[in-house]
Amino acid sequence: MNDGALDPLDDELAKARLGERTALAVLVQAHQRAVYSLALRMLGTRDLAEDLTQDVFMQLNGNLKAIESNKHLGFWLRRVTTNRAIDQLRRRTRLPMTSFEDEQPFFSAEDDADPLLQRHLRDLLSDLSPQARAVLLLRFQEDLDPTDIAQTLDMPINTVKSHLKRSLETMREKSLGMQSARCEDSST
Amino acid sequence: MSQEIESRIRAALRPVAPSEDFSQKLLARVIADQPARPKPRRLPSANARPLVWWLTASLAACLILAVGVQQHLEQQRLQQSGLEARRQVVEALRMTSQKLNLAYEAVKNQSTSLSDEKSGV
Repeated sequence: MNDGALDPLDDELAKARLGERTALAVLVQAHQRAVYSLALRMLGTRDLAEDLTQDVFMQLNGNLKAIESNKHLGFWLRRVTTNRAIDQLRRRTRLPMTSFEDEQPFFSAEDDADPLLQRHLRDLLSDLSPQARAVLLLRFQEDLDPTDIAQTLDMPINTVKSHLKRSLETMREKSLGMQSARCEDSST
Repeated sequence: MSQEIESRIRAALRPVAPSEDFSQKLLARVIADQPARPKPRRLPSANARPLVWWLTASLAACLILAVGVQQHLEQQRLQQSGLEARRQVVEALRMTSQKLNLAYEAVKNQSTSLSDEKSGV
């Protein structure tokens, strides 16, 4: 897990392992955004995402000694978050994705993405199986390559690739539909 | 087209921050739950180390001595009981021998007097 690159958070991890609270706070702040976003987009609601985020970091407290580096910590957090989210989703037949209005932003406010694309993406996420949803998020939110995704989810790499291919095809179809609708609008 | 869609998805899926309120609660909870810093184990000081060594060595020597003495005493006891048994056997043989001698003498005297009587008749 340690690729030898210097990471300032490795020092904080070492201190946190010795029980230094400030160091643990630094680590939580550094990783909470990724964990929360994964949880939110996996489970669909802010309340569930907050509960899951808290559970994951509480679990981290008991496992700090097993974490070797900050890179390993990122891997561990993504793995625990996605696995727990998949378990939760399996226990429910279907978890409703709540509307934008009554929830905290589902997508990043700073991006200039088309709201229509966001809507399609949200629909796509809610239609995907829990595993496929996790694959898509790890690829495009966490920017992991298929090998890392396969390791994180304990999934064959070909399954990861086929999930990605299918998701992208669906998005492409929706996107083409969107463009043709716009062309029709502009021509009238 | 594929690249464009991927970059658009990537842009839409940039991580979002949790609310400030939740973030603070999370920090407080996780920090409060963190196990306390483990106390470093006190190693014996340099001065104390020879004392500990001597105490251990003395204890071991005492133990070995006690076991040796006990074995020696046990051996002596066995030897004594063996000697006593031999003495008793010898005594018993001596007494048996005396009794046999007496009986032999008595029989011999009786047969002599009987033969005298016969010759006198």
